Amino acid sequence: MTAEAQRRRAFWQVLLFSAGLLVLTAISAGSVYLVNKARQDAEWVVHTIEAQNQINALLLEIRRAESTARGYLLTQATDFKADHEKAVAAIIPALDRLTRLTGDNPAQRANIEKLSAAIETRLGQFAQEMDFISQGHPDKAAAVVREVGSTDTTAAIAKVATAMIREEERLFRLRTVNSDRSQTLAASMTGIGSGLVVVLALISIWLVRRSALARDEAEARLRDANVNLEAVVDERTADLREANNEIQRFAYIVSHDLRSPLVNIMGFTSELEELGGDIFRRISSLARARGDGTPPAPAGPGEIALEGADKQLSEDFSEALGFIKSSIAKMDRLISAILNLTREGRREFQPVKIDTRELIAAIVSTVAHQAAEARAEIHLEPLPDVVSDRLALEQIFSNLIDNAVKYLKPGVPGEIRISGRTKLGYAIFEISDNGRGIDPRDHQRIFDLFRRAGTQDKPGQGIGLAHVRALVRRLGGTMSVSSELNAGSTFTITLPIAWNVNNRNADR
Amino acid sequence: MTQPVTIIMIEDDEGHARLIERNIRRSGVNNEIVSFANGTDAMLHLFGADGSGLVQKGNALLILLDLNLPDMTGIDILRQIKENKYLKASPVVVLTTTDDSQEIKRCYELGCNVYITKPVNYENFANAIRQLGLFFSVIQVPPAAT
Repeated sequence: MTAEAQRRRAFWQVLLFSAGLLVLTAISAGSVYLVNKARQDAEWVVHTIEAQNQINALLLEIRRAESTARGYLLTQATDFKADHEKAVAAIIPALDRLTRLTGDNPAQRANIEKLSAAIETRLGQFAQEMDFISQGHPDKAAAVVREVGSTDTTAAIAKVATAMIREEERLFRLRTVNSDRSQTLAASMTGIGSGLVVVLALISIWLVRRSALARDEAEARLRDANVNLEAVVDERTADLREANNEIQRFAYIVSHDLRSPLVNIMGFTSELEELGGDIFRRISSLARARGDGTPPAPAGPGEIALEGADKQLSEDFSEALGFIKSSIAKMDRLISAILNLTREGRREFQPVKIDTRELIAAIVSTVAHQAAEARAEIHLEPLPDVVSDRLALEQIFSNLIDNAVKYLKPGVPGEIRISGRTKLGYAIFEISDNGRGIDPRDHQRIFDLFRRAGTQDKPGQGIGLAHVRALVRRLGGTMSVSSELNAGSTFTITLPIAWNVNNRNADR
Repeated sequence: MTQPVTIIMIEDDEGHARLIERNIRRSGVNNEIVSFANGTDAMLHLFGADGSGLVQKGNALLILLDLNLPDMTGIDILRQIKENKYLKASPVVVLTTTDDSQEIKRCYELGCNVYITKPVNYENFANAIRQLGLFFSVIQVPPAAT
């Protein structure tokens, strides 16, 4: 899967999550709001019912007052009078309660005013009736009752009360509908929200499942890739080893086959030299025979008496042969060097525990004579011990110490310092001197085979450092130089503290 | 009965052959020297057309052998000589440029009598051959088995 797809998937998941969260919040807020609204609506419904009740209670009290008044009028029993008084006393508080309950509705307020007026009139009439009865004028009271019956006070009260009840009924219907709608809304909101959440959850689960599948697939592919990678690395390593061995064999065979004609060249050059000697001896004796007539005495070996042009010829001949021979000798040394290098490359290392300081002290003692001649002092600091190949280490350090002694600044007392430390499983050795130094441009070159740098006033083949670096690499280490011209050099060698056959990074 | 020893020289490099021969002569050895420039001819001469080695029966031979031959390795020739009942008693001197210690060891294991590395330095080379000549002049070579 591409990174793009992965990013897209992650984006979708975040989006889904946010959407889910948003929906949940909306549902919660909506639910709270709607539940509140439903409760309010329900309260209003209850309020309406209470108002209705109150109206009915008021009417009831008025009827009771009426009927007790009539009973008192008929019987003049004090029981009726007491009941009537109780009922009349209840009317005003009932009216007040009703006024409070219906205070929110302007229509009802108007009704209430009318009702209060009517009730007041009625109460006045009740009081009149009672007064007449208690003063002993029941006929007057009956007249009042008749008058009340003929007037429309009672009817007005009934009419207003009915209107109020209707109004409350209308409100009741309205509020019930409202309340029902709120509840339905809350329920459907919750339902839809829950459905949405469930859908989102399902999509999330599906996405997560798809991710998990993709991850499993990717893991499988990664495993395959790893296995393949190992195979590829093995293959490449085998190829490299093969190539390396091939080069070693090649170098070996080439240097052998180069040697074979060299034997001839050298051999016949020597034969030629001898032949030349014979010829010039003959010339010399012939010249002498012609010159003074004495019989040609066999000239002694090695001494050829020649004169003038003949002498010149002989000298040229010897010179030419001399160049040929020195060149052959040089070529032979180079070929031997290559052979030795390839042989070193093929040598199996034997890791042993090495007291590095002792090993280097031994090397220092072998160069003590040269060091004394060069007025050089060699300081040996404490060095970490390593497990490595003894011969290789000897060659590495003796080459470097030799070089340090060899390339000191003429006329300046030499000071060579060998120090060491350990770091992360590696031993780091530094061989520093105050010698003539190496131009930074030549830092790479000095490690190349047959290449040298600086003033060529010392014998050498340009092999030492190439050899040292090859050894260090085979021992799984690295090597570097830091130096300035005329400012001494420091060669740094990093070797694994414990070398074993597995951590070599060269051949095999 | 003393029979003149024949020196068989198997050397593909004519120059080397000439230098070897010259230096052997200089050391005063006058035995017949038979040269072969390749392994096939040498094998034919040593073992005959039937490959049994019967042709050399009764002859006293001293074999100078180079290891790097164009058509076969000297090691093979050495092994076959030392496995042949007529030839195995003949001394074999391996004279070659190879100075690999493994190779030297192998030659001695196969029954080589002397192993000499050709030095490039001619004086050493001449010396070695002359000393070999001295060695030839004193060595007792048995005739091939009958």
